[in-house]
This record gives sequence, structure tokens and C-alpha cells, in this order.
Amino acid sequence: MIRAEGVEAMEFPELSDRYGVSGVPQTTINDGAGTVVGAVPEQNLLAEIMRASKK
Amino acid sequence: MADVLLNEQTTGQIREAFSNLKEPVVILFFGSRENCDYCDDTRQLLEEVTALDDRLTLKVHDIDTDTEIAKLYRVDKTPGIVIAAMDGDQISDFGIQYSGIPSGHEFSTLIQAILLASGRDSGLTPQTREFLKNLQSPLHLQVFVTPT
Repeated sequence: MIRAEGVEAMEFPELSDRYGVSGVPQTTINDGAGTVVGAVPEQNLLAEIMRASKK
Repeated sequence: MADVLLNEQTTGQIREAFSNLKEPVVILFFGSRENCDYCDDTRQLLEEVTALDDRLTLKVHDIDTDTEIAKLYRVDKTPGIVIAAMDGDQISDFGIQYSGIPSGHEFSTLIQAILLASGRDSGLTPQTREFLKNLQSPLHLQVFVTPT
């Protein structure tokens, strides 16, 4: 149900471009439904996941 | 034989980190023969890492021939790495994966992921666990990183 994938941005430039990755780490939720830039506290990530899940 | 990737100092540090391993872990490597610049190095790196502790197992797959296994673990890139629990012959997938070569800073990410899977505990807060337990549709997080 849950998949957490680390992606080496430079090896997969097409994917990085698609999600507009300009700095790392950057987290894309469900193919672009949500985005988190930088390393954030767990509760902030959870809030964005909740927001993205409602789409 | 090709030169080793991990020097003695690094293997010493990894062994020390692996003294905290709890339960067995399996690493599934997915490579491809074509269009994969980092597959050989990644596989060799994983061979060297998993050789450092008896609780670690490496399984090597080809994404083009082992298509059913790749599909089962939802691996769609090479090199693709799945870090999962191993209990006897039983593999339990936590959905933890890494796409690309885990070098530089990302090497410690690999070691941390192995330790996390070995502990069988996400370390997440009760609030996060409650939300995830009630998920109605699949959740895919992709954390973009660079080795430097």
C-alpha cells in the first residue's frame, strides 16, 4: 500500500524534470499530487500527505 | 576480479553499525543489461555490504527477465534496490526502495534503511501510524536526492 522510494535525481533526469526538482531532498507524493521541499519534521510531511490524499 | 569498492576503514564502520542489526534483512537488486551505467557498480556495492553480516542476504534480479518479481515489488527503474524483511524463506516487503546507485551521502542512507528494516519498527509517531493504517488508496513517496 505504501511505497517509499529514494531516487537519485541525476540518474533519472526526466523524472526530476517532470516534478521540477531544483534542490534536494525533495519529496513527490503520488506522482505530483503533493510536494515537500527540504527535510521537514514528520508532522509537516504527514500534513502534506493528508492534503495530497484528498485530491 | 574487479577492485573492491569499500576500503577497510569503511567496512569497519559498517560492521560497527551492523552490530545494531536485530532481525534478518534481504536486499533485492534489480539490474538490466542495457542502458544502465551504474548497475554493475551498484550490484558490486551491495555484494560487498551484504557479505559483511550473516543476517543480510542479497538477491540479484534482471528487470527484463524477472518481470513478475519486479512487478511484485513495484520496481520500475534500474538499478533498483528493495530493502525488505526476511524471516526464514519469507520475504516481507515494507515498500522501502532506492533507485540509482547509493553512493556518497546516499551510502549511509542505504545502511540506515537496512538497520530500519532489521528493527522491524518504522519509528513513526502514533498519529502518523493511525493515518497510514486507515489509508484508502496507495501512497507513493519519491524522495529525490543526490550523492553530494
